[in-house]
Amino acid sequence: MRQMLFDLCGATGVTGLEREAARLAAEYLAPLCDAVRVDPLGSVLGSKAGEGAHILLEAHLDQIGLVVTGAEDGGFLRAAPCGGVDRRLLCGQEVTVHGTEDFFGVIPASAPHLAEKDSEKALPATALLIDTGLTRAEAERKAPAGSRVRFRTPPVALGEHRVTAPALDDRAGICALLRCMELLQGQRHAPVTVLFAVQEETGGAGAQAAAYGLQPAQALVVDVSFAQAPGVPATLAQGKLGGGVMVGFAPVLDQGMSERLCALAEQSDIAFTREIMGGRSYTDADKIQTTGSGVPCALLSIPLRNMHSAVETLDLRDVEATAQLLAAYIIEKGAAA
Amino acid sequence: MNLQELEQLCACAGVSGCENAVREAIIALLPKEATHTIDPLGNLIVRKTGTAAGKNTVMLCAHMDEVGLIVTEITEEGYLSFAHVGGIERRGYLGKQVLAGKRQVPGVIGLKPVHLLEGDEKENIPPEDSLRIDVGAESREAAAALVQPGERVVFAPGLTCFGDGYIKARALDDRIGCLILIELLRQALPYDMTAVFSTNEETGAGAAQAAAFALAPAYAIVVETTTAADLPGVEGTQRVCSLGGGAVVPFMDRGTVYPWDLYETAQTLAAAHGIPMQTKTKIAGGNDARSITTARGGIPTITVSVPCRGLHSPAVVMQQKDAEAVLQLVRALWGELTQK
Repeated sequence: MRQMLFDLCGATGVTGLEREAARLAAEYLAPLCDAVRVDPLGSVLGSKAGEGAHILLEAHLDQIGLVVTGAEDGGFLRAAPCGGVDRRLLCGQEVTVHGTEDFFGVIPASAPHLAEKDSEKALPATALLIDTGLTRAEAERKAPAGSRVRFRTPPVALGEHRVTAPALDDRAGICALLRCMELLQGQRHAPVTVLFAVQEETGGAGAQAAAYGLQPAQALVVDVSFAQAPGVPATLAQGKLGGGVMVGFAPVLDQGMSERLCALAEQSDIAFTREIMGGRSYTDADKIQTTGSGVPCALLSIPLRNMHSAVETLDLRDVEATAQLLAAYIIEKGAAA
Repeated sequence: MNLQELEQLCACAGVSGCENAVREAIIALLPKEATHTIDPLGNLIVRKTGTAAGKNTVMLCAHMDEVGLIVTEITEEGYLSFAHVGGIERRGYLGKQVLAGKRQVPGVIGLKPVHLLEGDEKENIPPEDSLRIDVGAESREAAAALVQPGERVVFAPGLTCFGDGYIKARALDDRIGCLILIELLRQALPYDMTAVFSTNEETGAGAAQAAAFALAPAYAIVVETTTAADLPGVEGTQRVCSLGGGAVVPFMDRGTVYPWDLYETAQTLAAAHGIPMQTKTKIAGGNDARSITTARGGIPTITVSVPCRGLHSPAVVMQQKDAEAVLQLVRALWGELTQK
């Protein structure tokens, strides 16, 4: 699973430029489904026949990054956030610019000798630069405005169970769905459609459009959520690395589905915690539940540290627990049919 | 300039006081005619005999150490607390991968996610004593089996060439200076050459002073890197110096007031040999020159630097042709001062 997750995280999928991640995810998905297709917005859909009511399984393909807005003398590109970027983390960040070709760049860090006060502040959104080592004309030619930019940090194992990589949000969800489909092979289960949706980080357009055409009876959404970490107390983050899958409870989620998932986890000895939200879930579940004449949704979340950074960190056992619980739910639905 | 050798030198972990790996790597790259000794503070002193002895001993000096972090405590949860070693760009290591301790254990320095920040938190860099390194350990015991307090931590990224002759790496300050001295030692030399690869420059502790005392040179040339702030939005003298502008020779920095005659000699030689040279337009930075200048009752010292963006960050950027200009100018200055 670690290698699959590293491969998925290595593919580019900055919002609006999900092609590479979509192609790789579709390759992994194809042998596990009856048919795989790509919808008009670029989301990947895989269907597998079964017994009973149709269930949608969803995770998003895209990742946060930057978008090029122009070039400056000295061959620097100007950039803006694409999705919710933490500007405190950008100094000295290596990036890949996806222009007319892919090339290396680095976000300059000013030196502490010069700007002692600046070093206490996040980079202002208006001052995001990428050093390309090119002339201005070359930089403009190779990276026209609108080119996407991703963090270039490689995936790395941290100890036995943890991994760190950019884009674990939400390639970990993709990975959990692929693992779930593996678990369903040879089992009697409900008919499923797997949706790897584009454009979650900018508001959920991909999931909304794809769910409209599917009209599922229920949807299970897999995303990441906040895990306790240094400086992040339990009051802000209900998840725990290695603590298992988080089952979401929220007004926008179907209470019966959430409760059934918890009961199944207890019954099957799958590690889980409850994640309680007071309103929306801020995931694609919010969009899917209101498509068509309405879709009851549940949300399973994988605990993640350092969300929206180049060092997102999770525990592989939690990805496995997520896949196990998804599979148990879909098998149960198939058995009841 | 052999980029593979530069990559090799930059890959060595050498935070101040733990320069062993760098010293070993340099020794392995020295020409076989060179002899070396290691002094009580860990400075590596290299000598190579030339065609003639030369009138004066000129001490060439580049430092082996780099800025980084030092582990101060392992928490109950298995995280590492740390302090800075040297003047680190505080924003540089946030959200980055590091390698911790003698075993070079991969770790990350994370932060509270952007979604959970309130008000000013989005704009302010949290103090370092609130940050932790996560090496994937789930308890104090598990972490203690990997790394101990007092061990050093380096930034993880390696060397990358990009754009038109640009190089990005972690410890270019001052491994590029070390490589320039190695290259000089490999050349056919008219006079005897003495080069010092020093320790503890980044802490300001100045181990180079002890080497200067022992060698008693007539002059010293420090081969270094220096801050270039040539970014859009930085104007005039605030830019300090520029990548592509050639060797940087300051008349003054925050550590040293350089002898004016040596500064003029550098200008004259650069002009005579057609070597691109620039000076610093801001009195900033400091280096081993401050320690050498005051050794043994005073040693006239000059600094020649490679301009670098993002100094003291995980991603230092330089241009290859500037390093070549530094090499040429140091060679010319060394010849001139040896016979002065």
